[in-house]
Amino acid sequence: MKETLTSDNMNMAYHALAAVMMPFIAFAVNFFLKRGSKVSGWISTIAIAISAVISIIIFNHTFNTGTIHFSRTWFTIGATNVPVGILLNNLSVLMLVLVNLIALPVHIYSMAYMSHDKNYSRYFTYLSFFCFSMLGLVVVDNLALVYAFWELVGFASYLLIGFWYKKQSAVQANKKAFIMNRIGDVGLLIAILILFVQYHTFDIGTLFGKDGLVFHSVINAGSWIGPVTQLPQVWQYVACGGIMLAVAAKSAQFPLHTWLPDAMEGPTSVSALIHAATMVAAGIFLLGRVYPLFNVHELDALAVMGCFTAFMAASIALTQNDLKRVLAFSTISQLGFMVMAMGVGAYASSLFHLVTHAFFKCLLFLVAGVVIHEMQHIKDENGLDIDPQNMLYMGGLRKKLPLTFIAAVIGGLALIGLPLTSGYLSKDGILIQAFEWSDSKAGIFKIVPILTLITSWMTAFYVARLIFKVFFGKFRLLDVHPNIKFHVSDGGWNYKLPLVFLSICCLFPVFSLNPVLYEHAWVYKAFLPSNFLERQNIYHTIIPAGLNILSLVVIYWAYAVYIQERKLPIRQNNWLFDLSYNQWYFNNLYNAIFVKPVLALSNGLFVFDRKGIDGFIHALQNIVIWLGKLAANIDRYIIDGLLHLLAAIVKYIGNLVRSFQTGRVQYYLISMLAVIVAWFIFKTLI
Amino acid sequence: MIPLTHYLVLSAALFCIGLYVVLAKRNAIQILIGIELMLNAAILNLVAFGKHDKVNNGGQMFALFAIVLAAATTAVALAIVLNVYRRYKTIDPDKVDKLKDKN
Repeated sequence: MKETLTSDNMNMAYHALAAVMMPFIAFAVNFFLKRGSKVSGWISTIAIAISAVISIIIFNHTFNTGTIHFSRTWFTIGATNVPVGILLNNLSVLMLVLVNLIALPVHIYSMAYMSHDKNYSRYFTYLSFFCFSMLGLVVVDNLALVYAFWELVGFASYLLIGFWYKKQSAVQANKKAFIMNRIGDVGLLIAILILFVQYHTFDIGTLFGKDGLVFHSVINAGSWIGPVTQLPQVWQYVACGGIMLAVAAKSAQFPLHTWLPDAMEGPTSVSALIHAATMVAAGIFLLGRVYPLFNVHELDALAVMGCFTAFMAASIALTQNDLKRVLAFSTISQLGFMVMAMGVGAYASSLFHLVTHAFFKCLLFLVAGVVIHEMQHIKDENGLDIDPQNMLYMGGLRKKLPLTFIAAVIGGLALIGLPLTSGYLSKDGILIQAFEWSDSKAGIFKIVPILTLITSWMTAFYVARLIFKVFFGKFRLLDVHPNIKFHVSDGGWNYKLPLVFLSICCLFPVFSLNPVLYEHAWVYKAFLPSNFLERQNIYHTIIPAGLNILSLVVIYWAYAVYIQERKLPIRQNNWLFDLSYNQWYFNNLYNAIFVKPVLALSNGLFVFDRKGIDGFIHALQNIVIWLGKLAANIDRYIIDGLLHLLAAIVKYIGNLVRSFQTGRVQYYLISMLAVIVAWFIFKTLI
Repeated sequence: MIPLTHYLVLSAALFCIGLYVVLAKRNAIQILIGIELMLNAAILNLVAFGKHDKVNNGGQMFALFAIVLAAATTAVALAIVLNVYRRYKTIDPDKVDKLKDKN
């Protein structure tokens, strides 16, 4: 790969470094500020704003002009240099801008949303830390650093999801997110280590760039032959599997998706950030970085995984009543689209959808935040015992929250993918390429695009359901509590500005001047050679048309069901509804398969510890005590006894001898006589 | 002629009587008499054995020495007895027990 390091490019590298470090500085400053200080909000927001401006400068300079790679040796182990550096190519520059442009409105929004929280300062500390981790992940140039920032993102999300750490459910949720992500981290680590063994480098450019090492390695006769060394073929699959696991964990793909809905326990603005451009997008970003590694079969596996995830999550979103949970499952579903797109080879479409999705999902979460905020107000003012996120209590809010309503409609239409929105451009690209891909495959693979089509219509239904339930009809809380008073509004500029900004970003002119042809979008062009963009077949016309017409029908259907209150053609409480409402029982399944056995094992180990190990220790202890007592007794009665006996003998002899010394002359004489007689007797006998 | 054995038996008897007197009597003068008896038993032995040394008369010589010594020691002993009496107002040796340590 050609690297051009002119002074201008060096400048850009330093710019990128500055863009990454701004949130870190904010984090460091906030860390030392007084708890609850209102300054911290401004510090973080200004930092991210500066970062955003810098990233736009970098973007203007670097996008579509080539690769800037700037690297220094960080440390050396043996003969291995681990570098630290910055890699700016189209992908990373795009992500850099995207993360900042999503994070900035979320910061502004958060200043209002979190203003009544006691831990205002801690919130912005975490938020800045999170932004730093994500920006770092985007620009670093080697896999070792990718792993480091990957971990930091996971840790920051752990902090943010569990921000209200006194709430039991939040603690459970962040533990769940963390553990699920650890599983993925193990996969990523294994993949990185295998790549290092195979190619002896961590550098992303050297590995995956044009003419990189990965392109020069082939799988032949059971061996994975690279330019440097060769390994058995199985390790290539293990490496890809590890990366898929990492992607599944971070981007909430089946089978590791269950943490994302639970992550809704964090503050809503955090949800908006995590779900839009940052945390969950990291998985797709990683796929984009290591894309050349995957061979055809592995891509097929990705496509199936993404497709299944998209379908499953959309079907769950149909029946959820928690406002944020619907959006969370929608995110999982859309991420499934992206993974599927990677799998079918629609690399550019996948990244394009990542970008557009970031804006409209962020918008929808912020809308949800406004609604939840107002519901919370009503709840607090009237002292009610309701869940402010439950859509069953909402309704008719479009007149109370006009701006929020408009933003929700724009975001919703973009999510459904109707024309004139950005979502239309990116989603149709994915679908068309999915169909083209399945043409070149065996018949069974037709399921993938068809399932994706069905998922799109389900998306239309649940989005329509959400908007109708929240903004149309009558305010259903009044049915339950008829006497409550409330006055709700769109909120201050902190709320309005991000909504307006993100709404504009959801419209087509931002990405393409042609509202119906996705091929004209600039993001799309940036990742593909131009000859790839020809409209090769009929799919480019019939799929968008058919999809959107049927989507409109589905929306009307939702209108009929939820506003005109006609009956659904199917009964509501059948097993399909239960399956969807209970999230395909994945939580129960995981509980049964993993949590319960682990708990049982732990309990078993606990009992073993108590009874077995402690019992053994106690037995040992008793033996030692007994031995000690024995030793004490031996000491006291035998050793001391001997000494005492000796002393007694000596005393007795002393007393005996003393009794001779009576002071009477005649006794002395008798004694002398006795001794002499005894002596003679002794002599005579022996 | 009286055989030597008779002398020796008499001498042993005398010695034992003297010894008994020395050990048993409660009067220092009587103890002195006991000592004289023992000395005389010894002298009797000397004289009896001296009968067999006609050339040098060693037994007789030793007997004379012993008699002289006995007279001298008796004089000293009497002086001690007188001093003991002066100090203790008694010559019973059982009551003169200041030789031993105080306890």
